[in-house]
Amino acid sequence: MTHPDPGDWPSADAALDDIDLQTLDGIREFFQTADPMPADLPERIRFSLALRDLEIEVAHLADEEDQAAVPVRGAEHSRTVTFDSASLTIMIRIDANADGTARVDGWLAPPQRREIEMKTVADPLSVTSDEQGRFAFASVPRGTAQLIVRPAGERQGEAGRSVVTPALIL
Amino acid sequence: MDTEGEEHGPVTVRANQPDRSARIASLVSAARAGDDDALGQIVTELSPLLWQVARAAGLSRGDAEDVLQTVWMRLLSHLDGIRTSMALTGWLVVTTRREAWRVRGAGRKLLPADQDWLSALPAAEPGSEEQVIMDDQRRALWTAMRQLPSRCQELLRIVAFVPRPDYAAVAAELGIPIGSVGPTRGRCLAKLRALLAGDQGENPR
Repeated sequence: MTHPDPGDWPSADAALDDIDLQTLDGIREFFQTADPMPADLPERIRFSLALRDLEIEVAHLADEEDQAAVPVRGAEHSRTVTFDSASLTIMIRIDANADGTARVDGWLAPPQRREIEMKTVADPLSVTSDEQGRFAFASVPRGTAQLIVRPAGERQGEAGRSVVTPALIL
Repeated sequence: MDTEGEEHGPVTVRANQPDRSARIASLVSAARAGDDDALGQIVTELSPLLWQVARAAGLSRGDAEDVLQTVWMRLLSHLDGIRTSMALTGWLVVTTRREAWRVRGAGRKLLPADQDWLSALPAAEPGSEEQVIMDDQRRALWTAMRQLPSRCQELLRIVAFVPRPDYAAVAAELGIPIGSVGPTRGRCLAKLRALLAGDQGENPR
């Protein structure tokens, strides 16, 4: 590959012209094809933002190997997802119910009693974990969902923030 | 701007841009007042840009999703200081980039397997004649991009997704030198153009 003479290079100081804009269009098209954003990501973000709660701690997917599987729609088999935040690890197992809904079993670590809300495409659901940190939603509508672990009672002063998971597709 | 050229793609896009800035500004002020739908429209409009920012910083697809969720949540507490489309785009790009660096610094490997877009050379066996021309253009661009320093690859990838009226703000935030009247070509784009020009007619494939 021969390198063009530097003297022939278009000036870096010149204003953008039509060729520049076309080149940038070409780069955009290239990456839109080579590395597209997941089509449902904006919808999941909109869903999360509806919380509008500033006193939150955001949990992240803990296991990289699982990440590709999480947004997949219509996966019928059971799967396990782990979320980590600074104060809490949330593990959930998602199973398909015969009626088309999903069953979600979860565990909190360290084990503790917390109020846990599941935002769904329909009404939010609410349960409480037991002393071992276990909780279960027997029937959750398929679609976008998000877990919110509410602050514990006042006697546990330091656990004052809600922990939310990224929105996921059940 | 040039209204005569509305039939032609890029010109049409630019002709619509002033409207876009005003529309984004009003969406921001509606979002600040608590309008979730306005906020949602902003998310839909700018997430594809932020996706490329996060991926260009070397994140896996899963990490990029997490970072976008985090950045948009953080925007909620910064809306008060943001009035214009330029300020919004600039803040979002810089915050996404910083958050991406933070996540990547947390012990993750530099280049995840799904990040290797450089191996995504367009298919060599094309169908139609149009496909041949398209593939040739893409291959030339891909070949030229690959020869740029990685910093230039990242910058051009980001800037290509920035709405045009916001070029100047984003360029300034990213530390790209720009002139006093508006965005200039800059070193990266000038180099890419030189490489593309140098490739013409001498590509053995």
